Amino acid sequence: MSEETINSRNTTAVVEAGLAKRYARERRFRLMGVAAVSVSVAFLAFLLISIFAKGIPAFKTTYVKLDITLDQKALRLPEQPSLQDLSRGRYDSAIKKSLLAQFPEVTSRKEKRALYKLVSSYASRQVADALVANPDLLNTTASIWVLADDEVAALARNADYTQNKKDAGTELIRTQIEQLRAEDRIDIRFNWLFFQRGDSREPEAAGIKGAIMGSLYTLMVTLMLSFPIGVAAAVYLEEFAPKNRLTDIIEVNINNLAAVPSIVFGLLGVAVFINFFHLPRSAPLVGGIVLSLMTLPTIIIASRAALKSVPPSIADAALGLGASKIQTITHHVLPLAMPGILTGTIIGMAQALGESAPLLMIGMVAFIVDVPAGVTDPATVLPVQVYLWSDSPERAFTERTSAAIMVLLVFLILMNALAVLLRKQFERRW
Amino acid sequence: MTKPVETSTQDRNSQLLAEFKTTTGDVRVEDPKMRMDNVDVHYGDNQAIYGVDLDLGKNEVLAMIGPSGCGKSTFLRCMNRMNDTVDSCRVSGTFSLEGQDIYAPDQDVVLLRARIGMVFQKPNPFPKSIYDNVAYGPRIHGLASSKDELDHIVETSLKRASIWNEVKDRLDAPGTGLSGGQQQRLCIARTIAVSPEIILMDEPCSALDPIATASIEELIDELRQNFTIAIVTHSMQQAARVSQRTAYFHLGRLIELGDTNTIFTNPSHELTENYITGRFG
Repeated sequence: MSEETINSRNTTAVVEAGLAKRYARERRFRLMGVAAVSVSVAFLAFLLISIFAKGIPAFKTTYVKLDITLDQKALRLPEQPSLQDLSRGRYDSAIKKSLLAQFPEVTSRKEKRALYKLVSSYASRQVADALVANPDLLNTTASIWVLADDEVAALARNADYTQNKKDAGTELIRTQIEQLRAEDRIDIRFNWLFFQRGDSREPEAAGIKGAIMGSLYTLMVTLMLSFPIGVAAAVYLEEFAPKNRLTDIIEVNINNLAAVPSIVFGLLGVAVFINFFHLPRSAPLVGGIVLSLMTLPTIIIASRAALKSVPPSIADAALGLGASKIQTITHHVLPLAMPGILTGTIIGMAQALGESAPLLMIGMVAFIVDVPAGVTDPATVLPVQVYLWSDSPERAFTERTSAAIMVLLVFLILMNALAVLLRKQFERRW
Repeated sequence: MTKPVETSTQDRNSQLLAEFKTTTGDVRVEDPKMRMDNVDVHYGDNQAIYGVDLDLGKNEVLAMIGPSGCGKSTFLRCMNRMNDTVDSCRVSGTFSLEGQDIYAPDQDVVLLRARIGMVFQKPNPFPKSIYDNVAYGPRIHGLASSKDELDHIVETSLKRASIWNEVKDRLDAPGTGLSGGQQQRLCIARTIAVSPEIILMDEPCSALDPIATASIEELIDELRQNFTIAIVTHSMQQAARVSQRTAYFHLGRLIELGDTNTIFTNPSHELTENYITGRFG
């Protein structure tokens, strides 16, 4: 030490002099943090607002009440029709007749064609459903609410983008809508159809149920495969694997798999599961297997971290009492590691829910109308549905794309909420 | 004892250690509970225990004392094969539990640990209820054939551990919600619920306050009637209070072993004397 002694008065003066600068630096740092968070929140708000603004109109749909004459002979139905016969009747012509009756001033061929487009082609299905629900309506003139065409629906809602359409055809439709409104024959309702039907060429009849069920089945398969295998692999690597080269190689490979682009798993799925094992194309079964391969590294890495974080004193206590290694792991270590394992699983599932590239490769990109009933039926998933709809030019499909994104976000929020709930269940103090 | 030219205690100890050949005092007892013969323990390339012979007598409390890092915890953990969980640890020599070599390849470790229980330095109750903590051992070994029997085992163990009165009204409360001293007594209750023959205690009171320590020392004296106890302790006063025989370890060697009173009032080996009089450690 030098001759100079450091006395406390010197130190105080020096520290005091530097304090202002230190605090100023900390203030600047804090401001940067706040600014970063604000910018992120602003962007998030912008994203959500634009999605919601575009998507909300898809949840509103327009119905038109028509008086339809249900004449047995005109509908080409047999004498005593069964319910099956009723659902197969020719309702198109009946609907057209009712439209002509509603608007008798329409005479020219061109105007007639435009008039028939007032209601959706789905309308005939709705009339069939009404008749099946109430067969007594046969041979009467019934007032049935049917789905309006998407262009008409937009005009009826006075949607923004229709303000500029001023050609003769649109003007005529506007007048017709006014007439219907005057007679209380037009109604804007919540679009329950969106959640009841699968995809369709007509945007007003297109629904997301097919994609929701497809996503659910695919995620179910993914979860049932990747969770047990992932957790078991993590337990093996953490507790049982001998410390040798082979184990090191396995660990390195698992960590690397987490970084492989997802489309590569799609290629694997096509080559192995579809071409070699001949599993059905476009099925949630294959989609689930491919996605579980993708999710396994995430779950294994998160589970290993969770297992490592369990204090060894608990395991020591159990072993000291004479518990076997497996008992120690299943009774004590795994339950304590569950919160971390579940978090990793939900992260993996959320990633899988949003994946489209590998599923496109195995064929889940097809236009699938029917709602899948099992894991081997052809299906599509929510992100792919968003992609398919975003390709279509109709304005109504643009709205439905945003609506599908909203449904996807709700799914993700629900999954995260489930994760938080499960973690709270399993959290214990030690 | 005549001293040579004045040297620091460290140098003197190193010299004594270099000269060390065999343990001073009687390591053997008649009809021992557990006999340890020529035990060597290595952690990787480092040797932690050098050729220790030691007998543990029936229903006695044997204290193991010594400075930090002298290998007493290592030795204790070898006695119920807890060092099996440490990959780099290699044990040689024989540990015979009533004539049976516990390191024999056909020895069931699970059975061994049901016969030799352990209480650890830091209380480690399971994050379960008090009842489930004590009942865990009997449950996995199938010691109780009915709920009533299990209740009885739990009650007896908690009574023997002198904690029954404090917890009898809240057996469903989590074990981790108790105070430090209570947690350690719960861990002792958990260990004796399995009715082991030997209880190994690794510095059980080092994390506790004096009052809790006193209650556990009292407990050890009571437990002696039914169990054999080996206790590692840093506190010489504790060793003097609870044990009948004391073993002094120094850097992996068993220097001296003998009757507790004699060791603390009139130790034979100079290393023991240096430690006891507080010259180091």
